[in-house]
Amino acid sequence: MKKSTLSMFIALSLASTTNTWASQDELIFKPGADTRFNWASFEQLKAIDLSGQELTVFGPWLGSEKERFDNVIAYFAKATGAKVSYAGSDSFEQQIVIDAQAGSAPNISIFPQPGLAADLAAKGLLTPLDAEDEAAVKKDYAAGQSWVDLATFKDQDGNNEFYGVFYRADLKSLVWYSPDNFYDAGYDVPETMEDLKALTEQIAADGGTPWCIGLGSGAATGWPATDWVEDLMLRTQPADVYDQWVKNEVKFDDPRVVGAIEEFGWFAHNDAFVDGGIKAVAATDFRDSPKGLFASPPKCYMHRQASFVPAFFPDEIELGIDADFFYFPSYADKDLGNPVLGAGTLVSITNDSEAAREFIDFMRSPIAHELWMAQKGFLSAHLGANPELYATETAKKQGEILRYATTFRFDASDLMPGKIGAGAFWTGMVNYSNGDSAESVAQEIQKTWDALK
Amino acid sequence: MVTSKKGSALTMVVHATVLFLVIMWTIPTAGLFISSIRDKDQLSVSGWWTALSSSEQKIVYRTPDADSEIQENGLYVLRGNLLEGGSGKVVKFGISSLKPEAFEPGTETQDRRGVTFKIMANGDYEVTSDKSFRRGVRIFYTAEVPPRFTLDNYRTVLSSEGLGQSFINSLTVTIPATVIPILIAAFAAYALAWMKFPGRALLIAGVVGLLVVPLQMSLIPLLTAYSKIGAIFGIEAKGYVGIWLAHTGFGLPLAIYLLRNYISGLPGEIIESARVDGASDFVIFRKIILPLSFPALASFAIFQFLWVWNDLLIATVFLGNTEESLVLTGRLRELLGSRGGNWEILTASAFITIIIPLLVFFGLQRYLVRGLLAGSVK
Amino acid sequence: MGQLAVAFVTMTLGVLACAGYFYGSNALLDVIFPSKNRPPEVVARNLRIVNQVRPWLFLGPALLLLFFYLFYPVVQSVILSFYGRTGEEFVGLDNYLWLFQSGEFLESFRNNMLWLIVVPTLSTFFGLIIATMTDRIWWGNIAKTLIFMPMAISFIGASIIWKFIYEYRSGGDEQIGLLNALVVFFGGEPQTWIQIPFWNNFFLMVILVWIQTGFAMVILSAALRGIPDETIEAAVLDGASGLQIFFRIMVPQIWGTIAVVWTTITILVLKVFDIVLAMTNGQWGTQVLANQMFSWLFQGGGDYGRSAVIALVIMILVVPIMVWNIKNANAEMEGR
Repeated sequence: MKKSTLSMFIALSLASTTNTWASQDELIFKPGADTRFNWASFEQLKAIDLSGQELTVFGPWLGSEKERFDNVIAYFAKATGAKVSYAGSDSFEQQIVIDAQAGSAPNISIFPQPGLAADLAAKGLLTPLDAEDEAAVKKDYAAGQSWVDLATFKDQDGNNEFYGVFYRADLKSLVWYSPDNFYDAGYDVPETMEDLKALTEQIAADGGTPWCIGLGSGAATGWPATDWVEDLMLRTQPADVYDQWVKNEVKFDDPRVVGAIEEFGWFAHNDAFVDGGIKAVAATDFRDSPKGLFASPPKCYMHRQASFVPAFFPDEIELGIDADFFYFPSYADKDLGNPVLGAGTLVSITNDSEAAREFIDFMRSPIAHELWMAQKGFLSAHLGANPELYATETAKKQGEILRYATTFRFDASDLMPGKIGAGAFWTGMVNYSNGDSAESVAQEIQKTWDALK
Repeated sequence: MVTSKKGSALTMVVHATVLFLVIMWTIPTAGLFISSIRDKDQLSVSGWWTALSSSEQKIVYRTPDADSEIQENGLYVLRGNLLEGGSGKVVKFGISSLKPEAFEPGTETQDRRGVTFKIMANGDYEVTSDKSFRRGVRIFYTAEVPPRFTLDNYRTVLSSEGLGQSFINSLTVTIPATVIPILIAAFAAYALAWMKFPGRALLIAGVVGLLVVPLQMSLIPLLTAYSKIGAIFGIEAKGYVGIWLAHTGFGLPLAIYLLRNYISGLPGEIIESARVDGASDFVIFRKIILPLSFPALASFAIFQFLWVWNDLLIATVFLGNTEESLVLTGRLRELLGSRGGNWEILTASAFITIIIPLLVFFGLQRYLVRGLLAGSVK
Repeated sequence: MGQLAVAFVTMTLGVLACAGYFYGSNALLDVIFPSKNRPPEVVARNLRIVNQVRPWLFLGPALLLLFFYLFYPVVQSVILSFYGRTGEEFVGLDNYLWLFQSGEFLESFRNNMLWLIVVPTLSTFFGLIIATMTDRIWWGNIAKTLIFMPMAISFIGASIIWKFIYEYRSGGDEQIGLLNALVVFFGGEPQTWIQIPFWNNFFLMVILVWIQTGFAMVILSAALRGIPDETIEAAVLDGASGLQIFFRIMVPQIWGTIAVVWTTITILVLKVFDIVLAMTNGQWGTQVLANQMFSWLFQGGGDYGRSAVIALVIMILVVPIMVWNIKNANAEMEGR
């Protein structure tokens, strides 16, 4: 045993001699080569000298997403001479709370939910950004004011401050489907919510199953349903009602909210409409759920999920050919425009330094957005970022939806207090899909909200 | 151990019971193991136990597009094999998602667009059209496929960058974090079991009480203290010494509790006679107690090793999760991606992390026996 | 190789520093208060001092660490339990009142009681059976290793394993969960196991029993080996049967260890939240105190006050076990 352990030891230690900083010297797109990039903003960076300074960045991205973000960071490091290290964690939410409270926070934190950032800001653990950043976001981003508002929280003393820039967006109002399956069955992509409901009934009448819905997500089970309800909220009520709902000025058990939950019920509370029947909705993992689209014979025809979901499609599925998406449509008979539901990650300073300030400026420059766009799995609301650089047609189409949205609203559950948006709302949706009534579920959530201080 | 002489029936019962329990306890792990050598997409569509038998699979195949078509007699033809060289047998096929099992292999059929399909049982297909193929066409088929295994999952995990570094980090954390608490706890346990001093019972109760402290509650106060101490001495708050002590602190109550129980059960006469001979408590501890408590020390060592080895929370809090400091569990979690969808990676990595603890268990199992021998020689 | 060398040196230094303390401090004590080659009255005095000081040398590092890593946070928690979510604003007994009025707490409390009864009992029972029986068969060590294996798997790995056992697919589809596959094979209806009210708690407990049996087995097995062979041989000569030996000789001999194993697993049950977190996060009526505490501590920036209150409840639950252990320790001391 001793000998084998030793040889394993040696083999592994030899394998590990790769220098972890080395990757930052290699830039994936040669500066200046591809003229579609906004290289001017990269050249400007070179004027800043941060050599010898260290910058720690902490965020939720792991695996291939981490790799891509590392590639982006490399440009900042190269231009300024700063030593930047990014670390990711799937328990980001817990760790940033611990680190920030304990005073050992990284310089930059990337929050997947603005709600969590707001919580930390209220405890005085975030550093407010200056007016220049705020003005730039307002000017450079599509629907700039809304991105500013989303990053404006109360500080310790109750004053409103601007705390971060959004980098990388997710588009939620999407329905995924297989164009070939639609062709085989003779279905058309619906343009309105009325059409979508008619199509749902049509598929069921033809003996097929219209939807795959899976709410399972381990400890976060239930969240996919919150997206459904939010999307339907935006399609049944004006956007300002949605905003009031987020702030609990419209109560959770308000008939308008209950109505949106019941709209979701129209799709999910029907054994003929969902794959596996009502019982399977909460029991199916959201990562397995989209695979039903590509089964033989198809288990379902449509799957409503955010722009990240292709990561969970089977390997051989090619976007644009085997799978495509359409906009989750709005009602023709309600004059509410075409609202878009989205989400995004917020870059904030948790430990102030000169390098951190410069990094924030970098994160809101077009080149930072373009560098990830040109890789994969990135949507940007930055107007200065060249949409030609999107790596896939699918992403480009989604980018356009995001860019030209008349009404853009952020994922409500990410904005609500953590105990609601990442707790009671999830649990409520699971209970609802298991047969509780929409009223009782909504009342239960409101009760939890009331119990918060 | 002594076996009952008249108990051949009893022995049979013992064999049967143990066998039954072993099977019950092993099935879940076996499931994990088999899942780890299965194809990723199979994992969520069929049970792992079916992996061992040949199975009927329904598959959608998309032919290549115009790039691979050839022209014959004015027609465009695509040829290939559905099974792509793998073994198996096509039993049914179809050309529409509505009727994926409409035809027997060997027959020929035509779709709405006038494309002709011909599929053989061995998977060979021929698709002909009078127009060029703008994109590949879909063929639905049902195949009898023999079991198929892959080591890809293990390859992905083992070839991930920085794994070796993390392996060393894990060992650097685990070995001292196993040895130090045992050392400290053994002394304390001996004092609590055999030395006379005021407040002994109270201390024992205190140890039991501290067993229950949820360590999550301690993280923030401790890390705050670390940061302050680090600031005073101008050193990093996160480092190896910090994590060893943290693991030691969290592991101590159980270590003291278990070891005290064992040590207080050792025969008192030996200790008394040694004292009469003028040996100090330190000598008694070193010469008598330590060798005699090997089984208990070894069993605690196993558990402490496991906890530290499998820990992620304490390591990320007290050591951080930068490239240089990531431990093995952290590295493997990283492979799962931001939304944790890669279960096939998880299954493989679970088996890779399990290897070292099992080696430790095998290694220490001998000491469990040696301790027994030392005890009975006395 | 440099990395490895550094790691090795750090490790050695860490361990040596610790061993050095015990050697050094005890040697120092013997040098300052020598008990050899001195007049008898000095020896007697020195011996007395040494005997008074030495226990604290032995206990010193342990007490220091216990104080800093466990006792100090407990005190902090007690204080925080009277404060609001940021730990700055004093709220008196608000958190306590909130706790006893919340339905979630009552549910967790009930579930925790179930866990406390089922898991320690079953784990200890199976651990004892396996420890005893494997000693009597030639393939005992192999059996032990296999039973021990779940202990070596991390909680996250374990929850994936059990996810593949409890997985539910609707009637028509092929079941990929073992339990449902068996149910369907015998002609039953597949179930969504972890959603069945009340009983789902037991499906979660099974996971912890599966893991902890290995722990009970290893500790009990070490204790069984401590029983002198002569005792058992004598019983065999007296014509005792296997079962009689087990109940009349082995069990009483290791009774103390059984109690220790039981206590340890009971306390672990109070603390474990990983399984509930990973499998259900307390939904479908499976909430337990530890998970409730965990979610109040971290969700949405955390609420110190409320999680501290829950942590205190967990700690209070252990008081009866503490009392019982004090009694045991006292009884032991009297006998010495």
